[in-house]
Amino acid sequence: MGLRRRYGDTVALDGLGFSVAPGQLFGFVGPNGAGKTTAMRIVLGVLEPDAGEVRWRGRPCDEAARARFGYMPEERGLYPKMRVADQLVHFARLHGIDRAGARAAAARWLERLGLGDVAGRRTETLSLGNQQRAQLAAALVHDPELLVLDEPFSGLDPVGVDVLSEVLRERARAGVPVVFSSHQLELVERLCDAVAIVRAGRVVASGRVADLRAARSARRWRVELAAANGAAPDWVGAVPGATVVTSEDHAVVVELGPGGDEQQLLDAARRAGRVRRFAPEEPTLAQLFREVVA
Amino acid sequence: MIGTVAAIALVARREIVERARERSLWVSTGITIAVLAGVLLLPSALGFGGATKATVAVAGPQAERVAAEARRAQKAFDVALSVRRVRDDAAARRLVRAGDADVAVLAGGTALAAAADADDAAVAAVQAGSQAARGTRVPPPLPVTQAGDENADERSGIAFVALVILYGQLLGYGFWVATGVVEEKATRVVELLLSAICPRQLLAGKVIGIGLLGLGQLLLIGLFGVLVGSASGQLEVTADVVAAVGVVLAWFVLGFGLYSCAFAVAGSLVPRQEEIQSVTAPLTVLILASFFLSFGALDDPGSSLAHVLSFVPPSAPMVMPVRSIAGDAAGWEIAASAGLTLLAAAALIALAARVYGAAVLRTGSRVSLRTAWRAAAKG
Repeated sequence: MGLRRRYGDTVALDGLGFSVAPGQLFGFVGPNGAGKTTAMRIVLGVLEPDAGEVRWRGRPCDEAARARFGYMPEERGLYPKMRVADQLVHFARLHGIDRAGARAAAARWLERLGLGDVAGRRTETLSLGNQQRAQLAAALVHDPELLVLDEPFSGLDPVGVDVLSEVLRERARAGVPVVFSSHQLELVERLCDAVAIVRAGRVVASGRVADLRAARSARRWRVELAAANGAAPDWVGAVPGATVVTSEDHAVVVELGPGGDEQQLLDAARRAGRVRRFAPEEPTLAQLFREVVA
Repeated sequence: MIGTVAAIALVARREIVERARERSLWVSTGITIAVLAGVLLLPSALGFGGATKATVAVAGPQAERVAAEARRAQKAFDVALSVRRVRDDAAARRLVRAGDADVAVLAGGTALAAAADADDAAVAAVQAGSQAARGTRVPPPLPVTQAGDENADERSGIAFVALVILYGQLLGYGFWVATGVVEEKATRVVELLLSAICPRQLLAGKVIGIGLLGLGQLLLIGLFGVLVGSASGQLEVTADVVAAVGVVLAWFVLGFGLYSCAFAVAGSLVPRQEEIQSVTAPLTVLILASFFLSFGALDDPGSSLAHVLSFVPPSAPMVMPVRSIAGDAAGWEIAASAGLTLLAAAALIALAARVYGAAVLRTGSRVSLRTAWRAAAKG
């Protein structure tokens, strides 16, 4: 936490920190170059931080703990000439699983991910989709206690997305914290319990998705009037601290600044016309994202 | 968590198992063995070396006795006689005239006829046989000792073969290490590996695995060489060959220890297979230069250049084996040279582990050695 990492003169991480609870599906989002991959590499011990530390179950994370992590790097890669099953056994054993256990786990995951028929084939002869599944199996084969997946959904077809979503949910239900990065914000919103939004090496918003949305919704209101008066809703201007975010024919979304009072807003709206709807506006994750990284 | 030894063993095991599955390994072993068989068997197949062969034509029991006595004495004359039985003297004469026999024993073992180009030693052997058959007691011929080391030529030949094999093995397997490192880097599998084990373990496992494979291949080739050599009778100095195989194996370990880590570092600097040639060029040149300089040592193992080169670590793994197989190097010299090479290898391994760890994750473009070193120094 409070991770710092530089590449030469480029600051990749500038005090980035977040925490994930057991059984939580955690979305890690941010624009390209925000430092997501660097942060994940540091969690896995592939990179050393310049400052800060990674803690696991309350203690500084060591090699023994990292051996129980599962990782899917953004840059996919397996040994192209190795047979799929051999490859999974190899990775399981590198994580400290014994030979018999590794074989059993490899067979189990190959079956689970629909790769049973190609287990004996060289990895390079598999279709792209199946190679992705093999990559996922390599992250899961040692039954990790923490899953860190860098862009696991990129390049998957809709069926693949469903399979992966189900596997991640199942792992989370088993109590495994699952951290993954993605640019597909609708997917993150649907799947994740909590998110961290990063920008320029810092976390700019984090927490449970519902809380993040609620925090914003207290300040945003959607007002719909029965009669459209066509012109810009200048009635909003009369309310102290209120600014128009969007405005359509009948509806206007208003943000209240500090000290703004939604009751005053409602009164002003009623003076302007018949109010058909007055409700807090919950932003989608995508809207939140645009606001905080802008 | 997995222990260091277990991690290295797993990586090494993967290298051996996966590479043993590749046909290229067996093709190269086959080619080397075929070349070796050619070098060992061709001279005797073409009639070079060994005892001079000659045919003796005989008719009748008396003549046969002469031939039998001649064969008993043939070793002292360094000839190998084969006997052809014919009906009568006329048939024996015809064989000699036709060039199908070298010597004919005629008239019940009382006269000889020799072909114009008959080998003197063969005629002399038959003469001795006829004397023995007539009951004349003649003392056996005196043994002859050649002046100087009678096996020097043979040793030099063995040293040459050893040198060629060592050169091929060091270059080939060093290159394999570089290719293996680049493969992991280019396919990005290295990141997954490094999330499980550390760079040193990966490097050590790879080098040890490929090295063991090289050693196994050498052992196979050496074993074959000794077998074929002793079976064909071509290598009468089998002990020399066995010693040479030992020397080659030991120096392969030392030389590979030295060069393989340098090849691994070179591999870790480039992102694609296409760039291996250029990044390993300095190492290739170093090995090639050592190889050619070793020919000087082969010609004159006692020269001062050969002495110096056999102690300098880059050339020692090729020059010292040549000198020691040729019988020129003293025990302390071999020990000192091996010690120096070992020291250089140890230093290079420590260095390589750091640079490799810093460079191997930098995919995308070629990393300069300086950048990698700085990153390594930073930790």
